[in-house]
Amino acid sequence: MKLIVQILFIAVAGFILELFLPWWSISLAAFAGGLFVRSSSNFAAGFIAIALLWLLKALVIEMYAATMLAEKVAHIFMLPGKLWLIIVMSFIGGLVGGFSALTGSLVEFKK
Amino acid sequence: MKATSVKVFKFFSGFFLTLILIVVLDKSWVINGNRLPPLGKFLDPFHGFWHNIKGKNDRGPALEKIPGLIQKVTVIYDSILIPHIFAGNDEDLYFAQGYVTATHRLWQMEFQTHAAAGRVSEIIGTGKDGFVLNYDRTQRRLGMVYGAEHTLEEVMTNPLTKMMVERYTQGINQYINSLHYHDLPFEYKLLDYKPEAWTPLKCALLLKNMAQTLCIGDKDMEMTNALKLFGKDMVDLLYPDRDPVGDPIVDNPGTWNFNAVTLHGIPPALPKDLINLKKDSPSDPNLGSNNWAVSGSKTKTGSPLLCGDPHLLLTLPSIWYAIQLNAPGINVMGASLPGAPAVIIGFNDSIAWSVTNAQRDLVDWFSIQYQNKTREKYLLDNTWVETRKVVETFSVRGESALYDTVIYTNWGPVTYDQNFHAEKNQKDYAFRWIAHDTSNEFTAFYNLNRARNHAEYMKALDHFSAPAQNFVFASTTGDIAMRAQGKYPVRRKDEGKFVLDGSQRSNGWQAFIPNEQNVMHKNPARGFVSSANQYPVDSTYPYYINATHYEAYRNRRINQVLEKNNSITVKDLMNLQNDNFNLKAMESLPLFLHYLDTTKFTEAEAHAHKILRSWNYYNTIDAEGASYYEAWWDNLMPLIWDELQRKNLALTNPTTFRTLELIKERPDLIFFDVRRTPQKENAGDVIRQAFSLSVRGILDWKTSHGTQTVPWADYKDSYITSLLRIEPLNIHIRHGGNHDIVNANSRTNGPSWRMIVSLEKSGVKAWATYPGGQSENPGSEHYADMLERWIRGEYFQLLFIHVPEEAKSKMIYSTQLDPER
Repeated sequence: MKLIVQILFIAVAGFILELFLPWWSISLAAFAGGLFVRSSSNFAAGFIAIALLWLLKALVIEMYAATMLAEKVAHIFMLPGKLWLIIVMSFIGGLVGGFSALTGSLVEFKK
Repeated sequence: MKATSVKVFKFFSGFFLTLILIVVLDKSWVINGNRLPPLGKFLDPFHGFWHNIKGKNDRGPALEKIPGLIQKVTVIYDSILIPHIFAGNDEDLYFAQGYVTATHRLWQMEFQTHAAAGRVSEIIGTGKDGFVLNYDRTQRRLGMVYGAEHTLEEVMTNPLTKMMVERYTQGINQYINSLHYHDLPFEYKLLDYKPEAWTPLKCALLLKNMAQTLCIGDKDMEMTNALKLFGKDMVDLLYPDRDPVGDPIVDNPGTWNFNAVTLHGIPPALPKDLINLKKDSPSDPNLGSNNWAVSGSKTKTGSPLLCGDPHLLLTLPSIWYAIQLNAPGINVMGASLPGAPAVIIGFNDSIAWSVTNAQRDLVDWFSIQYQNKTREKYLLDNTWVETRKVVETFSVRGESALYDTVIYTNWGPVTYDQNFHAEKNQKDYAFRWIAHDTSNEFTAFYNLNRARNHAEYMKALDHFSAPAQNFVFASTTGDIAMRAQGKYPVRRKDEGKFVLDGSQRSNGWQAFIPNEQNVMHKNPARGFVSSANQYPVDSTYPYYINATHYEAYRNRRINQVLEKNNSITVKDLMNLQNDNFNLKAMESLPLFLHYLDTTKFTEAEAHAHKILRSWNYYNTIDAEGASYYEAWWDNLMPLIWDELQRKNLALTNPTTFRTLELIKERPDLIFFDVRRTPQKENAGDVIRQAFSLSVRGILDWKTSHGTQTVPWADYKDSYITSLLRIEPLNIHIRHGGNHDIVNANSRTNGPSWRMIVSLEKSGVKAWATYPGGQSENPGSEHYADMLERWIRGEYFQLLFIHVPEEAKSKMIYSTQLDPER
């Protein structure tokens, strides 16, 4: 349960921060999620949250896309198709989210 | 205590690992010579390339606050995203043109001016085998920036053109300054760099870029080598100044009643040099264009019709950006070049114009004799004159800067020397090019855009120097005209055909043909004017004319079609612009077939023979005959002219037309002998050999494509090249035509802007299309939305209005640009 709350927190915070800040702001969101909403698997939470956030955003864009640019970019990266590009993208976002959440969870509050 | 330090260690490990990860993903890396975009930044769907993917019906803002405007400007966008700009004064008009063009073409305009200025390596690096750096060095050593600076000087001394380029520049910079990372055009993200500020010099560079495409070609070194190797008689046989064929652009024998400028002194002696050099920028014989205008006496409506059709390398983003410019005193529409103010090819309420390349030789190479190895002085009219050494800096991306010293003489820069293409070259030659001179083409376009009649068109063209163009003209008052306008040096016979001795000033360009003595005519009796890069004028014109090559086929086909139709409609002219008739094939295929020995055919050869015999000479999409014929021709030329393919030695092939003539008239000429075979071949032998080779080639093609037939469009495999030359961004198309055909779509080149204008008194109407779209963004629906119609030979009727309200349902949205106070 806590894991789900943590995932939601990171994804929503990431979404809001990305409206104003560059891509690396997902790291701040995940860090905060690791820091304030700790769970038993912080890395997984950060990974899943950002991977999902990016995946959903990309899917929404693709849903309304007027062109095949994603497919072409996949080919520029020598990937077979845009599905692969989306997987690579989600993995990269997830990796940053995961490590950031983990780092956040490692902060010790002095009592 | 111990547990705490483990925790601190774990935290810092995590922290630094995350930080490193972010830094790595935020940076662009070069792996195996390929530059990867910064993965995190680029793939982020909120700001990265995904942000460039637009939905259908994507709209710009309805209102924008723009500092720098004097009055409000209204921009109407029609269904193909052509902006119709309505401004209250000229200052705002050119500001808005810069601003609006930048919103759709910023990356392209910057990249093209970087290319012109030899700065691509700043973005891409040295490239494979140093290709990009070599390109940049060539650009600098040809004096591209040197020429642009000269042009800019003159542009800035004229208050009108100064205003034009400065306001255009401000408009572009206004847009650049408003950009955040996520707004950047796709290519900036892919290559990970940012736009720099636009400058007026870049507008001038763009003109030089066009001049380079159209008039930097020459064959002086090639002719000089041919002279040394084969002698003057053979040079005259292989490379006559004009092919004895066809219709010159202006055919008015005996009417050139002016006092032509004549040169005194002795004409320069023919050189004896053998130049061991492969030049970097040979001219491309596939570049060309068609234009024509038909008088009202020959059209169905009784109003003149004008057609323009410039053939260039077809790229995405497209070379042209369509636009309408409206302000008090001006209402013009047509094709503009992103990066230059004004409309270059188009029409207004009274006139229309278009251009084809004049082809004329506007380049010379002068041999330089240095005093000693320091190259500080060179001989000129018996005195040692100082050279100017310019150190060019190349800020190559990811590497330390490279410096290259270029020597400038009175003639121009020494392009190839001990430091560049040293090969076995013994001598240095200075490069003289018309586009090095001061000029102000913007004055010409400013006035042409506003011209109301033939007299004003003539006055506007007086300001146009380079690249020399055949300007076709038609007006609502019923006039049609043609003028081959440019700044042409006066030459004596054979002058400028070979390299020249640079130790004497008198070998240089001593005079230019006065504007009023240029080749031109108005309202000729035949009821139409036309040009297609052919030889410009009848033999009574008093000036010596030469070029790298003149076209021999398109011009005759166009004139034949226009001649026989006396009730011409817009539809007829659409058909003519898309005409796939292969006149070259009609004139050569029967002869080729005649040489074949039908008794010795393989099965495939018999099949090819059958198809060729029944072919109707049209290079249509599905024509197999066209594939066999073109393959045959492409195998024949290298077999005949194998003597001219030499390593590190500049030589050039005779023209297609001349080659065919020699086959007919001199079948035993030594050039028909194939050098690598022991026996002695004649024309018939090489034609047969080429036939066998081409049939085998097509058989291989069929096998590799898994098909039994060879349709022309598939065999040709035309494509629109992405400016970055990245294959996934290229678009392959099925289209007919070829070079030497009116529909001049060869594999990569072709009609870059097809325009037809009907100059009706009740209102000018126009139709156009081009192989691309208004937006440079590959994620926009307007990236290539005109391509489909272009392929089918169909057009868009252009929305040409006088007030914004006229657009009504034809617009998709409008943007009001308000001055910010």
